[in-house]
Amino acid sequence: MPALCPSTDIVLAAGLRTPFVRAGGVFKREDAGHLGARVAREVLAQNALEPDAFDELICGCVGQPFDQANVGRVIALRAGLDESTPARTVARNCASGIEMVTEAATAIEAGYGETYLCVGVEVMSSYPLVFGRKMTDMFARLAGARSGMAKLKALSAFRPSFLAPRIALLEGLTDPTCGMIMGSTAELLARDFGISRDDADAYALQSHRRAKAAREEGLLSEEILPHLAAEARPGARSVEHDDGIRDDQTLEALAKLRPYFEKPDGIVTVGNACGISDGAVAMVVTTGRRAQELGLEVMAHLRSFAWAGLDPKRMGLGPVFASAQALDAAECKLSDMHCIELNEAFAAQVLACTKAFESDDFAAKHLGRKKALGELDPKRLNIHGGAIAQGHPVGATGGRLLLTAARELQRSDGELALATLCIGGGQGGAVVLERGDN
Amino acid sequence: MSTLPNWDGLPLPDDMPPEGSCVRIKRPEAGLVVLTLDPPHRTATVLDLPLWRDLALALATVQPSGGDRALVIRGREPLHFAFGADIEAIETLSDPELVRRMTIEVHGILENLENLSRSMCTVAAVGGPVPGGALELSLACRYVIAADSPKTRLGLPETKLGILPGWGGTHRLPKKIGVPAAMEAILTGRLYDTRKAAKLGIVDRVTKPEYLFRIAADLALGRTKARPKKRGLARWLVDKNPLATAIIEDTALKQATAKTRGKYPAVELVVPMIASAARVNAREAATREADAISVLATGSVCKSLVSIFQASEAAKKLSRGPDGERAQRLERAVVVGAGVMGGAIASLMAEKGVSTRLADLSREALDKALVEHEREITKKLKRRRLEGSRARAALDHLDASLGISGVGRTQIAIEAVAETLPIKCAVLRELAEKMPKGAILATNTSSLSVTEIAAEVPDPGRVVGLHFFNPVRQMPLVEIVPGEQTRPEVVRAVAGLALALGKTPVIVKDVAGFLVNRLLGPFLDEALRLFEGGVAPQRLEDLLLDFGMPMGPLRLLDEVGFDIAGHAARSLHEAYGARMRPTEALLPWIDEGRVGRKSGKGFFDWSNPKKPTLAGDVTSLQTSQSLAELSDEEIVSRCVLSLVNEAARCLEEGVVTGPKELDLATVFGMGFAPFHGGVLHYADSVGAATLREQLDALAAASDITTRDGGRVKFQAANLIVELAQENGRFMDYVPASSNSA
Repeated sequence: MPALCPSTDIVLAAGLRTPFVRAGGVFKREDAGHLGARVAREVLAQNALEPDAFDELICGCVGQPFDQANVGRVIALRAGLDESTPARTVARNCASGIEMVTEAATAIEAGYGETYLCVGVEVMSSYPLVFGRKMTDMFARLAGARSGMAKLKALSAFRPSFLAPRIALLEGLTDPTCGMIMGSTAELLARDFGISRDDADAYALQSHRRAKAAREEGLLSEEILPHLAAEARPGARSVEHDDGIRDDQTLEALAKLRPYFEKPDGIVTVGNACGISDGAVAMVVTTGRRAQELGLEVMAHLRSFAWAGLDPKRMGLGPVFASAQALDAAECKLSDMHCIELNEAFAAQVLACTKAFESDDFAAKHLGRKKALGELDPKRLNIHGGAIAQGHPVGATGGRLLLTAARELQRSDGELALATLCIGGGQGGAVVLERGDN
Repeated sequence: MSTLPNWDGLPLPDDMPPEGSCVRIKRPEAGLVVLTLDPPHRTATVLDLPLWRDLALALATVQPSGGDRALVIRGREPLHFAFGADIEAIETLSDPELVRRMTIEVHGILENLENLSRSMCTVAAVGGPVPGGALELSLACRYVIAADSPKTRLGLPETKLGILPGWGGTHRLPKKIGVPAAMEAILTGRLYDTRKAAKLGIVDRVTKPEYLFRIAADLALGRTKARPKKRGLARWLVDKNPLATAIIEDTALKQATAKTRGKYPAVELVVPMIASAARVNAREAATREADAISVLATGSVCKSLVSIFQASEAAKKLSRGPDGERAQRLERAVVVGAGVMGGAIASLMAEKGVSTRLADLSREALDKALVEHEREITKKLKRRRLEGSRARAALDHLDASLGISGVGRTQIAIEAVAETLPIKCAVLRELAEKMPKGAILATNTSSLSVTEIAAEVPDPGRVVGLHFFNPVRQMPLVEIVPGEQTRPEVVRAVAGLALALGKTPVIVKDVAGFLVNRLLGPFLDEALRLFEGGVAPQRLEDLLLDFGMPMGPLRLLDEVGFDIAGHAARSLHEAYGARMRPTEALLPWIDEGRVGRKSGKGFFDWSNPKKPTLAGDVTSLQTSQSLAELSDEEIVSRCVLSLVNEAARCLEEGVVTGPKELDLATVFGMGFAPFHGGVLHYADSVGAATLREQLDALAAASDITTRDGGRVKFQAANLIVELAQENGRFMDYVPASSNSA
């Protein structure tokens, strides 16, 4: 299980994101190229960066638009980066937005370039519906048919059932190796760790309340670039905030929701799970030296990162495995962390992680250490809310966690922060950051 | 078989190249003759007399019976065929008989070519601009093959210059692509890209520029095929059907004259020629084209239009330095102020490939401008005026900025904020601080002094006035106003930007109202006073439309808005004194918020914006009927002379570089009748002496003498008096203090 504590001073400089918007909503006519380029362009403009300042653009994106192969390159060109700057797109499912940063860090550490523009983007609104196998076969035969008769014959095989589409979004959220949809993995953790519906709902409510408070204090405005959606109608306004935050969320309302994945006794509802969203984030990953040369504000130093694999059926515990290694690599303890951003895929999953972090048993059995990692202090965990309120555009979320953690270190003068998330397919990722002005 | 033309008595140029040098003849392989148009005395190939002479000589060497079976006519390079007729020569033509003879001679050459095309395969291999005569030459070949490039544009734009396609275009084009398409092509004068030209059938085959010459030879020798577009049944049902063509002719004439109001004789002459193309042979076509062109090319309309065309071509060189060096290309810009003007400027810049940030303090204004931009681009995409990738780039090129931010790499700022000195200066100072050193600061002011604004900004040499007109996308003129200290390279760079935006720049001195508004002011004021004095509004509108203005003065006031026009009029009055004293006729309406189109009602009722009708209560503003009895001539003359008189003052003061620039600005900036050739062209056609008499008479008119400033307004400008004495022409006048830039 790899972890890295870079010997180079690698920094996150200058980052921005769009608001995260509920899929099928205001951004439904967006495409990843457009949205990603918008935020990348703004990072360039606001920091007066030259179009040839970067060695490469790395884009994190899970569901690349089928009409924009290597969407990273599309974003680079649409953002006005120099043609000579290469670009690639990386994916590690829900952690693609961290993957792009650790890719850049690895490259810098290896001496392969020094300045990277990392853009995480996901427009889940535009995930396609796909024709099923039978329909596709019929099309293939039709295209191959030469004569009118042959065409007619190919068409005659058609049955109305062929029209039933495969939904890319749903199938993408299902693990093909264990056959479980993500919600079910959270249900499994709830059973493993004895998480109740009430606990999950209370956690979800807290996420909304914290996000609302952060928005009202203007803390999120620092990282959010207001964006007017593509194909907006006259009279439309720019979106300035994450629109998944429910100001009037209550426990009663949450309690009324029916379990979504495992009826009737499951505990995961749409209310205590993260939303499906559209959004993009961009940041510069470079060395401290180069940041100074470019006149960039250093948001945070990257102290260490780690990727871990685990039982796909319990993918939600990924943060525990990855954080253990990242902390070890950085030679620090969980209690050293001023703030922790642990992605809220599901309330039940976050709560299960909390228990696993605190459990000596779990540490002994799975992490090969005698003592637990330590307590996940609620006062330091996801203090400005998380994906349950803000949404989870898979390609962008990782970048958002890093951005929020780095900003929080600067704001409250903390020393160290941990950003970590669980990954469908049974993985975890974690990054330890250190405050920028050190 | 071919008879060499008779050049005796035709005006051949002094630097006449030796016989045969303009067209190279090669026989690269058996049976193939390649004629390359390559005149040694021209950097750009035009179809002048020496070229026609040598083409005739070259064609005479082709022997279809002696083994030549294929002929290719091509230009120097794939994207350099020929730029049509020699437009400079048209300007000098004055003898109709001579024009007639020249036309007939060229027709003879083309007829020879067409005859060759019957006995052998002839191919015109064209690319780059192929306008007018160049296309007519190609149409005499069996096939036209075109190089696929954005630079390739084919068409017959002659009617835009007040003439008609005189080298067979009126009958060969309809025969090739059918009467309806030819009618549209010739009446609009549009230049088509290769895709559209192939679709219409003007072009028979398209290939890449690199392959053009090879494929043309292959095509001529039959090694590859072209698939000319067939008209099929439509040929018999439409082109050759007298009834159908009569209907087309009638409709086209009606539509055309509704626009031209009978001022452009070429249009009325060309329509019947196109309609009957299928029924005439080459000889008859030659005669009637020659008859028409001899009259048109020597007439005043053509001269006026050519003069304007020349001036607009000259304006394209404003971005070049004294040694022809190119100006700095502006690729990153910020526009401050997301109002109607700023939003439209930013949108146009983004569309033309300039990365633009639009800054405003109001998020709402920014959003509105972005929505409008996307609407505009989507419209163009749907109408296929923009490709998908270009449309996406146009959207990417416009970003909003709340407040002035992210301008650290921009090269130019254009401010379009409120018209007050303190606000403009504050904005420019903030820009100066945030933008890179030496970045250009342009102000879109219409009423403030550029020099005064510049004085408030560090490094005033980079401040320049860049005055767009509303609506930005439609108005072709941009006034560039250097302040006293503006550096010449700054002027050149913004001229280059204006050109890149598809606008025609004109350099204007930093005087109140600059040029266009300074001229429009007295003109509109006079129209208002006539209206006030009892002239029926419809009559007033009609008379000036008949004179050739694109829009009546009252309609124009409605479009501009009474508040804006009033503001402009007051600042002119302040600067120039009594002669610009504005009438207060509109005050009652302005007070009740009735300010023209934007308020829904002015002189016109705008409840149907596409068809405004005169408001029912419009006469309520008429305070007397004393002027109702004025003759048509006097009404027009009062309006137009107030314009001419001010134009003479501007010319004398050196507000523009010269008379041609002034005329260009009046045609492009206020739509002053193009067939008159601009205000000064018109003034010359009347004559300075006559103008002076008319002005004196007006100054003595009882209502004008008694009104405040009336007499000074119509007091003949010094220059008019001077020219009247010397019997001189405005167009020959060279301003003493011509602009430095």
